[in-house]
Amino acid sequence: MKKEKLSIDDISLKDERFRISYYFPLDELILSIKKIGLINPPLVAFRDKHIILVSGWKRVLACTELAITHLPVFVVEEEDELEIFIKAFYENLATREFSLLEKAEILNRLIRFGEDEQNIVRHYMPLLNIPRTLPYLDSLMAISRLEPEAKRFIQENSMPFLPASLLAEFNPEERRLLFPLLSPLGQNKKKEILENLQDISRRIGTPAEKILSVQEILKIQSSEKLSSLQKAEKVCLLLKRKRYPAFSSWEESFESLLKKMRWPKEITIRPTPYFEDEEFSVTFTFENKEKFSANLLKLQELASREEFSKIFSLDYSFK
Amino acid sequence: MIESQYLPQKVYVEKQSFDFPLTKRILENLSQIPIEAIENPRDLIENIRISRNIREKGKTYLLLTRQKGEFVKPCPCTPYYIGCNYFIINLDLNCPLDCTYCILQHYLSNPLITVHVNLDDLWRQLDVFLRRNRAGILRIGTGELGDSLALDHLTENSKGLISYFREKRNVILELKTKTVNIKNILKIEPAQNTVIAWSLNSRRIAREEEAGAPLVEERIDAARRVAEKGFRVGFHFDPIIRYPGWEEEYGEVIKRLFNAVDPGQMVWISLGSLRFPPSLKTIIKERFPSTKIIFDELIKGKDGKLRYFKPLRLELYKKIIDLIKNWGGEKIPLYFCMESKEIWRRALGWVPKGQESLQAYLSSPFGPLKK
Repeated sequence: MKKEKLSIDDISLKDERFRISYYFPLDELILSIKKIGLINPPLVAFRDKHIILVSGWKRVLACTELAITHLPVFVVEEEDELEIFIKAFYENLATREFSLLEKAEILNRLIRFGEDEQNIVRHYMPLLNIPRTLPYLDSLMAISRLEPEAKRFIQENSMPFLPASLLAEFNPEERRLLFPLLSPLGQNKKKEILENLQDISRRIGTPAEKILSVQEILKIQSSEKLSSLQKAEKVCLLLKRKRYPAFSSWEESFESLLKKMRWPKEITIRPTPYFEDEEFSVTFTFENKEKFSANLLKLQELASREEFSKIFSLDYSFK
Repeated sequence: MIESQYLPQKVYVEKQSFDFPLTKRILENLSQIPIEAIENPRDLIENIRISRNIREKGKTYLLLTRQKGEFVKPCPCTPYYIGCNYFIINLDLNCPLDCTYCILQHYLSNPLITVHVNLDDLWRQLDVFLRRNRAGILRIGTGELGDSLALDHLTENSKGLISYFREKRNVILELKTKTVNIKNILKIEPAQNTVIAWSLNSRRIAREEEAGAPLVEERIDAARRVAEKGFRVGFHFDPIIRYPGWEEEYGEVIKRLFNAVDPGQMVWISLGSLRFPPSLKTIIKERFPSTKIIFDELIKGKDGKLRYFKPLRLELYKKIIDLIKNWGGEKIPLYFCMESKEIWRRALGWVPKGQESLQAYLSSPFGPLKK
């Protein structure tokens, strides 16, 4: 590898064969280069009479933003593209953590440049903190093959492996419908929507696109009164009801009983998760003896009501 | 009866396992199959684990190796639910059948059909185990990490196991299978403390979810022949799976079972509904894309496993118990595998008070065994 100084205009950014990083913010890097200059020269190679970038997309783009005209580079002289890519991989591995999308792109390039599949599983996946199995490789390859809009979504939402790989299992049109729903939600809710939608779709043999286009969901989405988070949460709940009809109906019966009893907000009553056990728990807070006694009295009064005993005999003949 | 017996494409023998009598017997029974001696099974397992179609590939190879740890272990069961105090003998690992819901896909990191050939160590360990566990009646079986009879035409282990346990007074041996591989069993004098048990399911579930396993009617016919020979038999409706029409179809199997097999020879019937750890769902989705059983209303139970929402499980159990009782199984001990106290109480009307109570219940048909 030899070090040279090149005009930034001489580097062809159109050739992305070695590129693994997309949709990244540059602010901090721009600040760093402005303050202390470019410390680590990017790697470049000659290909088809052009100088192409092997590693250092963020650095070169930050320099472009700063209107830097010339920059130092290392010129990689190897001919074999796999060897070149491996150099770039190790250069990055030592200095930073890869995002999920970058990991997917790395695996994609290793396959594209001819690395043996088993060698990838055995050698590279542990370096990327990915379990050493082919199904993981397949899922990450599927992520690397997604349309740019989906990749941007995964990157900008910092989606973890599981929801991202679920998202990759839908088709582009379904993903397009999903983005506004998923966007305002946290990672767990994102995963819940994706799992429930896929499970419903497989169970009833209806494409997810059709499920997302039912009147109920369209109505929620076109509402002008609801915020995007409220819309997403309503759709999430609707899908949960479709996914778990018996459990949802049971839960609703329980909640409606509490409502009927005007159960006080300051005393919480909870069944075990999914009503799996028969027990319930009651919690309240108190700051003095009077408050404590008042809550006990309230509980005693609630326990004497007819509706209270119904909590213990929710309908077992449910169909 | 169609007997489709397992034949591997290749046999791997750990070099230090060649001299065991069981290795010699298996290799004699597989004289046409290529054999490769290997230094260390771990390398072979590792290579298969990072290849495509791990499970499918694993089933085509038979590995003969030594059990280096304990042969006998308590059945792992599941936390927070009532266990049935069962002990397992880890003689064979993995199974040539390919049921969609099989827990072994998730549980065993070794995908090869594996036979542990150091039987002398097994007998020695069993002697010690039985000496240490003289109180009460023990139940022990080989059908947890593999099918007890699927490899019996190669290993002939049923003969040795039944002979070993025949003389033991406080233990019941269960050989649990989905196969009809009963040739060796039919040649052996029945032992009163041996139970040959079949996993049964509805015809549709057997056809769609239990690839490689004989038809349910064939399993029942095998059970009939074994019962007529004089062996006690057991049945496991596990996993019971919901689908439109399940009630009628499970009813047909139960009717067929009681029409074919003398209830007097049946020592227990266990019930368990579909359940599996969440990570198995990913494996099932990938390996069996057409199955729908994993998309039903399965919630996360107390043990973290996915299982049907409680009222749905209860409905399954109540109806199947009614069917069993109506068809002549009133006196047969019924029990649940990995279920809660509430399910026991609501479906069976009682809850075992500790392991002794369950042991006593399940060994009740074996009166003369008790000391």
